[in-house]
Amino acid sequence: MRNILYNTGYFLKEAKAIIKLNLLSNIFSLLSTGLIFFILTMVSSGWWISSQVVETIQGEAEVSVYFKEDIKNNDVMKLIEDIKTIAGVREVRLVDEDEAYSRMVEILGNEAKVLSYLDDNPFNPFIEVKIHLENMESVVKNLSHIKGIEQIRDNREALERLHSIAEVLKILGYLVVAAVAISTLVIISHIIRMGIYDNRDQINTLRLLGAPEMFIAFPFLLEGLMLTIGGGLLAATLSAFSLKYFYAQMAGPLPFIPLPPREALVGRLITLVILLSAIMGVTGSLFGLSSAKND
Amino acid sequence: MIEAKSVCLKYSDGTIALRNVDLQVEPGDMVYITGPSGSGKTSLLKLFMGVEYPTSGSLEVLGQPIAKGQASEIRQLRRSIGPVFQEFKLIKGRTALENVMLGMRFLDIPQRRLREDATTALVKVGLEHKILSLVENLSWGEGQRVAIARAVARQPLLILADEPTGNLDKDNALNILELLTSFKNRNTAVIITTHATHLLEGIKEGRLIHVDNGSIHQERLG
Ligand SMILES: Nc1ncnc2c1ncn2[C@@H]1O[C@H](COP(=O)(O)OP(=O)(O)OP(=O)(O)O)[C@@H](O)[C@H]1O
Ligand SMILES: [Mg+2]
Repeated sequence: MRNILYNTGYFLKEAKAIIKLNLLSNIFSLLSTGLIFFILTMVSSGWWISSQVVETIQGEAEVSVYFKEDIKNNDVMKLIEDIKTIAGVREVRLVDEDEAYSRMVEILGNEAKVLSYLDDNPFNPFIEVKIHLENMESVVKNLSHIKGIEQIRDNREALERLHSIAEVLKILGYLVVAAVAISTLVIISHIIRMGIYDNRDQINTLRLLGAPEMFIAFPFLLEGLMLTIGGGLLAATLSAFSLKYFYAQMAGPLPFIPLPPREALVGRLITLVILLSAIMGVTGSLFGLSSAKND
Repeated sequence: MIEAKSVCLKYSDGTIALRNVDLQVEPGDMVYITGPSGSGKTSLLKLFMGVEYPTSGSLEVLGQPIAKGQASEIRQLRRSIGPVFQEFKLIKGRTALENVMLGMRFLDIPQRRLREDATTALVKVGLEHKILSLVENLSWGEGQRVAIARAVARQPLLILADEPTGNLDKDNALNILELLTSFKNRNTAVIITTHATHLLEGIKEGRLIHVDNGSIHQERLG
Protein backbone atom coordinates (compact mmCIF):
# COMPACT_ATOMS: atom_id res chain seq x y z
CA MET A 1 0.00 0.00 0.00
CA ARG A 2 2.87 2.34 0.81
CA ASN A 3 4.33 1.52 -2.58
CA ILE A 4 1.06 2.47 -4.21
CA LEU A 5 1.13 5.89 -2.57
CA TYR A 6 4.79 6.44 -3.40
CA ASN A 7 4.24 5.58 -7.01
CA THR A 8 1.22 7.81 -7.65
CA GLY A 9 3.18 9.88 -10.15
CA TYR A 10 4.30 6.77 -11.98
CA PHE A 11 0.78 5.34 -12.06
CA LEU A 12 -0.69 8.53 -13.47
CA LYS A 13 1.98 8.58 -16.15
CA GLU A 14 1.29 4.93 -16.96
CA ALA A 15 -2.45 5.53 -17.14
CA LYS A 16 -1.81 8.41 -19.51
CA ALA A 17 0.41 6.22 -21.66
CA ILE A 18 -2.23 3.47 -21.75
CA ILE A 19 -4.91 5.96 -22.78
CA LYS A 20 -2.68 7.48 -25.42
CA LEU A 21 -2.02 4.07 -26.94
CA ASN A 22 -5.70 3.76 -27.90
CA LEU A 23 -6.65 7.39 -27.76
CA LEU A 24 -9.66 7.22 -30.07
CA SER A 25 -11.21 4.20 -28.37
CA ASN A 26 -10.71 5.86 -25.02
CA ILE A 27 -12.35 9.07 -26.17
CA PHE A 28 -15.32 7.15 -27.54
CA SER A 29 -15.60 5.18 -24.32
CA LEU A 30 -15.66 8.41 -22.36
CA LEU A 31 -18.29 9.90 -24.64
CA SER A 32 -20.52 6.86 -24.59
CA THR A 33 -20.33 6.45 -20.81
CA GLY A 34 -21.08 10.17 -20.62
CA LEU A 35 -24.18 9.81 -22.77
CA ILE A 36 -25.29 6.71 -20.91
CA PHE A 37 -24.93 8.52 -17.60
CA PHE A 38 -26.81 11.44 -19.12
CA ILE A 39 -29.78 9.20 -19.91
CA LEU A 40 -29.61 7.98 -16.34
CA THR A 41 -29.65 11.50 -14.94
CA MET A 42 -32.60 12.43 -17.12
CA VAL A 43 -34.65 9.41 -16.08
CA SER A 44 -33.80 9.82 -12.44
CA SER A 45 -34.67 13.50 -12.48
CA GLY A 46 -37.98 12.55 -14.09
CA TRP A 47 -38.40 10.09 -11.28
CA TRP A 48 -37.54 12.59 -8.57
CA ILE A 49 -39.70 15.31 -10.06
CA SER A 50 -42.71 13.05 -10.47
CA SER A 51 -42.46 11.58 -7.01
CA GLN A 52 -42.09 15.06 -5.58
CA VAL A 53 -45.12 16.22 -7.55
CA VAL A 54 -47.14 13.24 -6.41
CA GLU A 55 -46.15 13.85 -2.84
CA THR A 56 -47.10 17.51 -2.99
CA ILE A 57 -50.36 16.86 -4.73
CA GLN A 58 -51.22 14.05 -2.38
CA GLY A 59 -51.00 16.58 0.40
CA GLU A 60 -53.48 18.59 -1.59
CA ALA A 61 -56.19 16.01 -1.92
CA GLU A 62 -59.35 17.97 -2.13
CA VAL A 63 -63.00 17.82 -3.00
CA SER A 64 -64.95 20.62 -4.61
CA VAL A 65 -68.54 20.81 -3.45
CA TYR A 66 -71.00 22.67 -5.65
CA PHE A 67 -74.29 23.72 -4.13
CA LYS A 68 -77.62 24.72 -5.59
CA GLU A 69 -77.51 28.26 -6.96
CA ASP A 70 -80.61 29.44 -5.18
CA ILE A 71 -79.28 28.60 -1.75
CA LYS A 72 -79.04 31.39 0.79
CA ASN A 73 -75.80 32.62 2.26
CA ASN A 74 -76.74 31.44 5.70
CA ASP A 75 -77.39 27.98 4.39
CA VAL A 76 -74.01 27.93 2.73
CA MET A 77 -72.41 28.76 6.08
CA LYS A 78 -74.39 25.98 7.70
CA LEU A 79 -73.31 23.63 4.96
CA ILE A 80 -69.70 24.50 5.64
CA GLU A 81 -70.13 23.82 9.35
CA ASP A 82 -71.73 20.46 8.52
CA ILE A 83 -68.89 19.50 6.27
CA LYS A 84 -66.36 20.43 8.92
CA THR A 85 -67.77 17.73 11.19
CA ILE A 86 -67.01 14.93 8.73
CA ALA A 87 -64.08 12.78 9.80
CA GLY A 88 -60.98 13.23 7.61
CA VAL A 89 -61.74 16.80 6.63
CA ARG A 90 -58.84 19.16 7.25
CA GLU A 91 -60.07 22.47 6.03
CA VAL A 92 -63.23 23.87 4.51
CA ARG A 93 -63.38 27.15 2.66
CA LEU A 94 -65.79 28.98 0.41
CA VAL A 95 -64.41 29.92 -2.99
CA ASP A 96 -66.63 32.67 -4.43
CA GLU A 97 -67.15 33.45 -8.10
CA ASP A 98 -64.42 36.05 -8.22
CA GLU A 99 -61.81 33.77 -6.73
CA ALA A 100 -62.81 30.93 -9.03
CA TYR A 101 -62.38 33.33 -11.94
CA SER A 102 -58.98 34.59 -10.88
CA ARG A 103 -57.79 31.03 -10.26
CA MET A 104 -58.67 30.14 -13.81
CA VAL A 105 -56.83 33.25 -15.04
CA GLU A 106 -53.78 32.06 -13.22
CA ILE A 107 -53.99 28.55 -14.62
CA LEU A 108 -54.52 29.74 -18.17
CA GLY A 109 -51.66 32.21 -17.98
CA ASN A 110 -51.19 33.77 -21.40
CA GLU A 111 -54.34 32.12 -22.69
CA ALA A 112 -56.43 33.92 -20.08
CA LYS A 113 -57.55 36.49 -22.59
CA VAL A 114 -60.20 34.06 -23.88
CA LEU A 115 -62.05 34.73 -20.63
CA SER A 116 -62.38 38.39 -21.53
CA TYR A 117 -64.57 37.43 -24.50
CA LEU A 118 -67.21 36.26 -22.07
CA ASP A 119 -69.79 38.75 -20.81
CA ASP A 120 -70.47 37.15 -17.49
CA ASN A 121 -68.26 35.34 -15.04
CA PRO A 122 -68.96 31.72 -16.05
CA PHE A 123 -67.74 30.27 -12.80
CA ASN A 124 -69.83 29.21 -9.86
CA PRO A 125 -68.86 29.58 -6.25
CA PHE A 126 -68.02 26.30 -4.52
CA ILE A 127 -66.83 24.93 -1.23
CA GLU A 128 -63.26 23.71 -1.24
CA VAL A 129 -62.80 20.80 1.13
CA LYS A 130 -59.19 19.82 1.89
CA ILE A 131 -58.98 16.30 3.18
CA HIS A 132 -56.56 13.52 3.94
CA LEU A 133 -56.16 11.40 0.84
CA GLU A 134 -56.83 8.12 2.59
CA ASN A 135 -60.25 9.45 3.70
CA MET A 136 -61.29 10.44 0.21
CA GLU A 137 -63.83 7.66 -0.14
CA SER A 138 -65.62 8.09 3.16
CA VAL A 139 -65.63 11.87 2.90
CA VAL A 140 -67.21 11.73 -0.54
CA LYS A 141 -69.79 9.25 0.73
CA ASN A 142 -70.66 11.41 3.74
CA LEU A 143 -70.90 14.51 1.60
CA SER A 144 -73.40 12.86 -0.65
CA HIS A 145 -75.78 12.50 2.30
CA ILE A 146 -75.82 16.23 3.03
CA LYS A 147 -78.77 18.17 1.68
CA GLY A 148 -78.29 21.17 -0.59
CA ILE A 149 -75.29 19.74 -2.40
CA GLU A 150 -75.67 19.59 -6.13
CA GLN A 151 -72.38 18.10 -7.28
CA ILE A 152 -69.19 16.73 -5.77
CA ARG A 153 -65.99 16.82 -7.76
CA ASP A 154 -62.85 15.18 -6.50
CA ASN A 155 -59.35 14.97 -8.00
CA ARG A 156 -58.95 11.31 -7.12
CA GLU A 157 -58.66 10.25 -10.73
CA ALA A 158 -55.94 12.77 -11.48
CA LEU A 159 -54.03 11.70 -8.38
CA GLU A 160 -54.25 8.06 -9.31
CA ARG A 161 -53.05 8.78 -12.81
CA LEU A 162 -50.10 10.73 -11.48
CA HIS A 163 -49.36 7.95 -9.10
CA SER A 164 -49.23 5.37 -11.86
CA ILE A 165 -47.01 7.65 -13.97
CA ALA A 166 -44.65 7.86 -11.03
CA GLU A 167 -44.73 4.07 -10.73
CA VAL A 168 -43.92 3.63 -14.41
CA LEU A 169 -41.06 6.09 -14.10
CA LYS A 170 -39.79 4.17 -11.11
CA ILE A 171 -39.73 0.88 -13.02
CA LEU A 172 -38.16 2.65 -15.97
CA GLY A 173 -35.61 4.06 -13.57
CA TYR A 174 -34.64 0.59 -12.36
CA LEU A 175 -34.35 -0.64 -15.93
CA VAL A 176 -32.19 2.31 -16.87
CA VAL A 177 -29.97 1.81 -13.83
CA ALA A 178 -29.50 -1.83 -14.86
CA ALA A 179 -28.80 -0.83 -18.46
CA VAL A 180 -26.31 1.82 -17.37
CA ALA A 181 -24.55 -0.59 -15.05
CA ILE A 182 -24.28 -3.32 -17.67
CA SER A 183 -23.23 -1.12 -20.55
CA THR A 184 -20.60 0.85 -18.61
CA LEU A 185 -19.30 -2.41 -17.26
CA VAL A 186 -18.98 -3.79 -20.78
CA ILE A 187 -17.44 -0.61 -22.20
CA ILE A 188 -14.93 -0.12 -19.43
CA SER A 189 -13.91 -3.74 -19.05
CA HIS A 190 -13.51 -3.99 -22.80
CA ILE A 191 -11.23 -0.98 -23.07
CA ILE A 192 -9.23 -2.18 -20.06
CA ARG A 193 -8.78 -5.56 -21.69
CA MET A 194 -7.62 -3.82 -24.82
CA GLY A 195 -5.05 -1.83 -22.83
CA ILE A 196 -3.88 -4.98 -21.10
CA TYR A 197 -3.53 -6.76 -24.41
CA ASP A 198 -1.49 -3.93 -25.90
CA ASN A 199 0.73 -3.85 -22.83
CA ARG A 200 1.05 -7.61 -22.41
CA ASP A 201 4.83 -7.63 -22.88
CA GLN A 202 5.33 -4.98 -20.25
CA ILE A 203 2.92 -6.72 -17.88
CA ASN A 204 4.70 -10.01 -18.39
CA THR A 205 8.06 -8.38 -17.68
CA LEU A 206 6.75 -6.76 -14.52
CA ARG A 207 5.47 -10.15 -13.36
CA LEU A 208 8.87 -11.69 -14.02
CA LEU A 209 10.45 -8.92 -11.97
CA GLY A 210 8.11 -9.77 -9.10
CA ALA A 211 5.79 -6.78 -9.25
CA PRO A 212 2.65 -7.33 -7.14
CA GLU A 213 -0.51 -7.74 -9.19
CA MET A 214 -1.92 -4.61 -7.57
CA PHE A 215 1.05 -2.60 -8.78
CA ILE A 216 0.45 -3.85 -12.32
CA ALA A 217 -3.30 -3.31 -12.16
CA PHE A 218 -3.33 0.16 -10.66
CA PRO A 219 -2.71 2.16 -13.85
CA PHE A 220 -5.58 0.29 -15.51
CA LEU A 221 -7.81 1.00 -12.56
CA LEU A 222 -6.91 4.67 -12.92
CA GLU A 223 -7.67 4.52 -16.63
CA GLY A 224 -11.13 3.11 -15.92
CA LEU A 225 -11.74 5.72 -13.24
CA MET A 226 -10.64 8.56 -15.49
CA LEU A 227 -12.97 7.38 -18.25
CA THR A 228 -16.06 6.96 -16.09
CA ILE A 229 -15.52 10.06 -14.02
CA GLY A 230 -14.87 12.02 -17.21
CA GLY A 231 -18.10 10.58 -18.59
CA GLY A 232 -19.83 11.39 -15.32
CA LEU A 233 -18.72 15.01 -15.44
CA LEU A 234 -19.89 15.23 -19.04
CA ALA A 235 -23.28 13.82 -18.04
CA ALA A 236 -23.50 16.17 -15.05
CA THR A 237 -22.82 19.20 -17.24
CA LEU A 238 -25.29 18.09 -19.89
CA SER A 239 -27.99 17.40 -17.35
CA ALA A 240 -27.47 20.69 -15.51
CA PHE A 241 -28.05 22.52 -18.80
CA SER A 242 -30.99 20.33 -19.76
CA LEU A 243 -32.70 20.85 -16.43
CA LYS A 244 -32.18 24.59 -16.69
CA TYR A 245 -33.89 24.51 -20.06
CA PHE A 246 -36.63 22.20 -18.83
CA TYR A 247 -37.39 24.41 -15.82
CA ALA A 248 -37.49 27.49 -18.01
CA GLN A 249 -39.97 25.70 -20.30
CA MET A 250 -42.15 24.56 -17.42
CA ALA A 251 -42.22 27.88 -15.60
CA GLY A 252 -44.28 29.62 -18.30
CA PRO A 253 -47.23 27.46 -19.29
CA LEU A 254 -47.43 25.08 -16.31
CA PRO A 255 -46.81 27.14 -13.20
CA PHE A 256 -49.10 25.03 -11.03
CA ILE A 257 -46.85 21.93 -11.21
CA PRO A 258 -44.87 22.01 -7.98
CA LEU A 259 -41.32 21.26 -9.24
CA PRO A 260 -38.60 20.67 -6.65
CA PRO A 261 -35.98 23.43 -6.44
CA ARG A 262 -33.61 23.11 -9.38
CA GLU A 263 -30.36 23.64 -7.47
CA ALA A 264 -31.19 20.83 -5.06
CA LEU A 265 -32.08 18.53 -7.95
CA VAL A 266 -28.90 19.32 -9.87
CA GLY A 267 -26.81 18.86 -6.73
CA ARG A 268 -28.38 15.48 -6.14
CA LEU A 269 -27.85 14.44 -9.73
CA ILE A 270 -24.18 15.41 -9.69
CA THR A 271 -23.60 13.49 -6.47
CA LEU A 272 -25.38 10.48 -7.91
CA VAL A 273 -23.57 10.51 -11.22
CA ILE A 274 -20.07 11.06 -9.79
CA LEU A 275 -20.57 8.40 -7.13
CA LEU A 276 -21.96 5.97 -9.65
CA SER A 277 -19.23 6.67 -12.19
CA ALA A 278 -16.54 6.08 -9.58
CA ILE A 279 -18.15 2.78 -8.60
CA MET A 280 -18.63 1.73 -12.21
CA GLY A 281 -15.09 2.75 -13.08
CA VAL A 282 -13.60 0.59 -10.37
CA THR A 283 -15.95 -2.34 -11.00
CA GLY A 284 -15.49 -2.21 -14.77
CA SER A 285 -11.72 -2.07 -14.45
CA LEU A 286 -11.61 -4.96 -12.00
CA PHE A 287 -13.89 -6.89 -14.31
CA GLY A 288 -11.62 -6.18 -17.27
CA LEU A 289 -8.53 -7.03 -15.27
CA SER A 290 -9.86 -10.31 -13.98
CA SER A 291 -11.17 -11.38 -17.36
CA ALA A 292 -7.84 -10.57 -18.98
CA LYS A 293 -5.99 -12.63 -16.40
CA ASN A 294 -7.71 -15.78 -17.56
CA ASP A 295 -6.30 -15.44 -21.08
CA MET B 1 20.25 -20.67 -1.98
CA ILE B 2 19.23 -23.06 -4.69
CA GLU B 3 18.60 -26.68 -4.00
CA ALA B 4 17.55 -28.89 -6.89
CA LYS B 5 16.98 -32.62 -6.41
CA SER B 6 16.39 -34.84 -9.45
CA VAL B 7 14.61 -32.05 -11.23
CA CYS B 8 13.03 -32.88 -14.57
CA LEU B 9 11.30 -30.43 -16.85
CA LYS B 10 9.03 -31.53 -19.62
CA TYR B 11 7.22 -28.83 -21.61
CA SER B 12 3.55 -29.27 -22.46
CA ASP B 13 4.41 -30.21 -26.05
CA GLY B 14 6.40 -33.17 -24.77
CA THR B 15 9.88 -31.66 -25.12
CA ILE B 16 12.09 -32.85 -22.30
CA ALA B 17 14.29 -29.85 -21.49
CA LEU B 18 15.96 -31.04 -18.28
CA ARG B 19 16.64 -34.50 -16.88
CA ASN B 20 17.48 -35.36 -13.27
CA VAL B 21 19.23 -32.13 -12.39
CA ASP B 22 20.91 -32.14 -8.99
CA LEU B 23 22.37 -28.78 -8.07
CA GLN B 24 23.27 -26.75 -5.04
CA VAL B 25 24.14 -23.06 -5.07
CA GLU B 26 25.33 -21.24 -1.95
CA PRO B 27 25.68 -17.55 -1.13
CA GLY B 28 28.88 -16.18 -2.62
CA ASP B 29 28.83 -18.71 -5.46
CA MET B 30 29.71 -17.81 -9.00
CA VAL B 31 28.19 -20.27 -11.45
CA TYR B 32 28.67 -20.41 -15.20
CA ILE B 33 26.28 -22.51 -17.25
CA THR B 34 27.37 -23.50 -20.73
CA GLY B 35 26.07 -25.81 -23.37
CA PRO B 36 24.97 -25.81 -26.98
CA SER B 37 21.89 -24.04 -28.20
CA GLY B 38 18.74 -25.82 -27.12
CA SER B 39 20.50 -27.77 -24.40
CA GLY B 40 18.33 -26.34 -21.57
CA LYS B 41 20.24 -23.35 -20.11
CA THR B 42 17.35 -20.90 -20.27
CA SER B 43 15.00 -23.61 -19.06
CA LEU B 44 17.13 -24.00 -15.96
CA LEU B 45 16.95 -20.26 -15.21
CA LYS B 46 13.21 -20.30 -15.86
CA LEU B 47 12.89 -22.91 -13.17
CA PHE B 48 14.92 -20.80 -10.74
CA MET B 49 12.58 -17.85 -11.35
CA GLY B 50 9.48 -19.96 -11.00
CA VAL B 51 8.43 -19.35 -14.60
CA GLU B 52 8.30 -23.10 -15.03
CA TYR B 53 7.76 -25.71 -12.33
CA PRO B 54 9.66 -29.01 -12.13
CA THR B 55 7.71 -31.82 -13.73
CA SER B 56 9.28 -34.09 -11.15
CA GLY B 57 11.87 -33.78 -8.42
CA SER B 58 12.04 -30.88 -5.97
CA LEU B 59 13.40 -27.36 -6.23
CA GLU B 60 13.83 -24.65 -3.63
CA VAL B 61 15.10 -21.16 -4.34
CA LEU B 62 15.93 -18.94 -1.35
CA GLY B 63 13.90 -21.34 0.73
CA GLN B 64 10.88 -21.02 -1.50
CA PRO B 65 9.61 -24.25 -3.06
CA ILE B 66 9.03 -23.87 -6.79
CA ALA B 67 5.78 -25.72 -7.15
CA LYS B 68 2.14 -25.30 -8.02
CA GLY B 69 -0.04 -23.41 -5.55
CA GLN B 70 2.82 -21.09 -4.61
CA ALA B 71 2.19 -18.40 -7.22
CA SER B 72 2.05 -15.42 -4.89
CA GLU B 73 5.04 -16.61 -2.84
CA ILE B 74 7.00 -17.12 -6.04
CA ARG B 75 6.05 -13.61 -7.14
CA GLN B 76 7.49 -12.40 -3.86
CA LEU B 77 10.62 -14.52 -4.36
CA ARG B 78 11.28 -12.82 -7.69
CA ARG B 79 11.75 -9.52 -5.88
CA SER B 80 14.98 -10.97 -4.48
CA ILE B 81 16.21 -11.99 -7.92
CA GLY B 82 17.97 -9.81 -10.47
CA PRO B 83 17.18 -11.33 -13.84
CA VAL B 84 18.93 -10.45 -17.10
CA PHE B 85 16.80 -11.98 -19.82
CA GLN B 86 18.24 -13.40 -23.00
CA GLU B 87 16.00 -11.03 -24.97
CA PHE B 88 16.41 -8.22 -22.37
CA LYS B 89 12.67 -7.50 -21.94
CA LEU B 90 13.20 -3.76 -21.65
CA ILE B 91 10.12 -1.59 -21.80
CA LYS B 92 9.90 0.39 -25.00
CA GLY B 93 9.01 4.04 -25.03
CA ARG B 94 10.86 4.55 -21.72
CA THR B 95 14.32 5.84 -21.07
CA ALA B 96 17.12 3.70 -19.75
CA LEU B 97 16.70 5.36 -16.36
CA GLU B 98 12.94 4.72 -16.28
CA ASN B 99 13.53 1.08 -17.14
CA VAL B 100 15.99 0.63 -14.30
CA MET B 101 13.75 2.50 -11.87
CA LEU B 102 10.70 0.48 -12.86
CA GLY B 103 12.45 -2.67 -11.70
CA MET B 104 12.84 -1.10 -8.26
CA ARG B 105 9.51 0.62 -7.67
CA PHE B 106 7.82 -2.25 -5.88
CA LEU B 107 10.81 -3.29 -3.76
CA ASP B 108 11.58 -2.09 -0.28
CA ILE B 109 13.88 0.60 -1.55
CA PRO B 110 13.20 4.08 -0.14
CA GLN B 111 11.54 6.21 -2.76
CA ARG B 112 14.13 8.98 -2.63
CA ARG B 113 16.91 6.51 -3.44
CA LEU B 114 15.29 5.14 -6.61
CA ARG B 115 16.73 7.70 -8.99
CA GLU B 116 20.09 7.77 -7.28
CA ASP B 117 20.58 3.99 -7.20
CA ALA B 118 19.32 3.59 -10.76
CA THR B 119 21.72 6.25 -11.98
CA THR B 120 24.61 4.65 -10.10
CA ALA B 121 23.87 1.28 -11.70
CA LEU B 122 23.76 2.83 -15.18
CA VAL B 123 27.05 4.60 -14.58
CA LYS B 124 28.59 1.33 -13.44
CA VAL B 125 27.66 -0.38 -16.72
CA GLY B 126 29.16 2.56 -18.59
CA LEU B 127 25.96 4.18 -19.80
CA GLU B 128 26.16 7.57 -18.08
CA HIS B 129 25.77 9.25 -21.47
CA LYS B 130 22.65 7.24 -22.35
CA ILE B 131 20.69 7.59 -19.14
CA LEU B 132 17.89 9.59 -20.72
CA SER B 133 17.86 7.80 -24.06
CA LEU B 134 14.85 5.76 -25.06
CA VAL B 135 15.78 2.08 -24.92
CA GLU B 136 14.64 1.42 -28.48
CA ASN B 137 17.30 3.86 -29.69
CA LEU B 138 20.11 2.01 -27.95
CA SER B 139 22.51 -0.38 -29.65
CA TRP B 140 22.25 -4.08 -28.88
CA GLY B 141 25.15 -4.02 -26.44
CA GLU B 142 23.83 -0.89 -24.75
CA GLY B 143 20.41 -2.48 -24.32
CA GLN B 144 22.10 -5.46 -22.74
CA ARG B 145 23.87 -3.20 -20.27
CA VAL B 146 20.58 -1.47 -19.35
CA ALA B 147 19.18 -4.94 -18.65
CA ILE B 148 22.15 -5.66 -16.41
CA ALA B 149 21.79 -2.31 -14.63
CA ARG B 150 18.11 -3.06 -14.01
CA ALA B 151 19.01 -6.42 -12.49
CA VAL B 152 21.75 -5.20 -10.18
CA ALA B 153 20.05 -1.95 -9.09
CA ARG B 154 17.48 -4.14 -7.39
CA GLN B 155 20.19 -5.30 -4.97
CA PRO B 156 19.15 -8.91 -5.44
CA LEU B 157 20.36 -11.93 -3.52
CA LEU B 158 20.53 -13.91 -6.72
CA ILE B 159 21.54 -12.64 -10.15
CA LEU B 160 20.37 -14.80 -13.05
CA ALA B 161 21.93 -13.61 -16.30
CA ASP B 162 20.91 -15.42 -19.48
CA GLU B 163 23.50 -15.03 -22.26
CA PRO B 164 24.62 -11.57 -21.16
CA THR B 165 27.62 -11.86 -23.47
CA GLY B 166 25.76 -13.03 -26.53
CA ASN B 167 26.62 -11.19 -29.73
CA LEU B 168 29.43 -9.24 -28.05
CA ASP B 169 33.08 -9.26 -29.14
CA LYS B 170 35.48 -10.93 -26.78
CA ASP B 171 36.68 -7.79 -24.98
CA ASN B 172 33.20 -6.50 -24.34
CA ALA B 173 32.02 -9.94 -23.32
CA LEU B 174 34.78 -10.24 -20.78
CA ASN B 175 33.97 -6.78 -19.47
CA ILE B 176 30.38 -7.83 -18.93
CA LEU B 177 31.42 -11.01 -17.12
CA GLU B 178 33.75 -8.99 -14.94
CA LEU B 179 31.01 -6.47 -14.24
CA LEU B 180 28.54 -9.17 -13.20
CA THR B 181 31.16 -10.86 -11.06
CA SER B 182 31.79 -7.58 -9.26
CA PHE B 183 28.24 -7.58 -7.97
CA LYS B 184 28.80 -10.85 -6.19
CA ASN B 185 29.48 -10.67 -2.48
CA ARG B 186 29.28 -13.10 0.37
CA ASN B 187 25.49 -12.86 0.55
CA THR B 188 24.73 -13.04 -3.13
CA ALA B 189 25.17 -15.59 -5.85
CA VAL B 190 25.56 -14.97 -9.57
CA ILE B 191 24.54 -17.45 -12.25
CA ILE B 192 25.48 -16.72 -15.84
CA THR B 193 24.68 -18.77 -18.93
CA THR B 194 26.76 -18.60 -22.07
CA HIS B 195 27.48 -20.91 -24.94
CA ALA B 196 30.81 -19.18 -25.57
CA THR B 197 33.05 -21.58 -23.63
CA HIS B 198 36.19 -19.87 -24.92
CA LEU B 199 35.29 -16.85 -22.77
CA LEU B 200 35.72 -18.89 -19.64
CA GLU B 201 39.28 -19.99 -20.39
CA GLY B 202 40.98 -17.28 -18.35
CA ILE B 203 38.52 -17.42 -15.47
CA LYS B 204 39.98 -18.76 -12.25
CA GLU B 205 37.08 -18.65 -9.87
CA GLY B 206 33.70 -20.24 -9.78
CA ARG B 207 31.90 -23.32 -10.97
CA LEU B 208 31.14 -24.45 -14.45
CA ILE B 209 28.00 -26.37 -15.24
CA HIS B 210 27.82 -27.97 -18.60
CA VAL B 211 24.35 -28.70 -19.90
CA ASP B 212 23.95 -31.23 -22.64
CA ASN B 213 20.58 -32.25 -23.90
CA GLY B 214 19.03 -31.54 -20.52
CA SER B 215 21.60 -33.27 -18.34
CA ILE B 216 24.25 -31.41 -16.34
CA HIS B 217 27.90 -32.07 -15.52
CA GLN B 218 29.70 -29.88 -13.03
CA GLU B 219 33.35 -28.94 -12.73
CA ARG B 220 35.34 -26.40 -10.78
CA LEU B 221 37.11 -23.63 -12.64
CA GLY B 222 40.74 -22.62 -12.16
N1 LIG C 1 7.99 -23.09 -23.83
C1 LIG C 1 8.54 -24.14 -24.44
N2 LIG C 1 7.74 -25.11 -24.91
C2 LIG C 1 8.29 -26.19 -25.54
N3 LIG C 1 9.58 -26.38 -25.69
C3 LIG C 1 10.42 -25.44 -25.22
C4 LIG C 1 9.94 -24.28 -24.58
N4 LIG C 1 10.99 -23.52 -24.23
C5 LIG C 1 12.09 -24.19 -24.63
N5 LIG C 1 11.74 -25.35 -25.23
C6 LIG C 1 12.65 -26.36 -25.75
O1 LIG C 1 13.44 -26.81 -24.66
C7 LIG C 1 14.77 -27.04 -25.08
C8 LIG C 1 15.74 -26.21 -24.23
O2 LIG C 1 15.49 -24.84 -24.51
P1 LIG C 1 16.27 -23.68 -23.80
O3 LIG C 1 15.64 -22.41 -24.19
O4 LIG C 1 16.39 -23.98 -22.38
O5 LIG C 1 17.70 -23.82 -24.52
P2 LIG C 1 19.00 -22.93 -24.30
O6 LIG C 1 20.04 -23.84 -23.79
O7 LIG C 1 18.68 -21.73 -23.51
O8 LIG C 1 19.33 -22.55 -25.80
P3 LIG C 1 20.00 -21.19 -26.34
O9 LIG C 1 21.46 -21.32 -26.10
O10 LIG C 1 19.71 -21.24 -27.81
O11 LIG C 1 19.39 -20.05 -25.65
C9 LIG C 1 14.82 -26.69 -26.55
O12 LIG C 1 14.69 -27.88 -27.28
C10 LIG C 1 13.62 -25.82 -26.75
O13 LIG C 1 13.13 -25.96 -28.06
MG1 LIG D 1 18.64 -19.72 -23.85
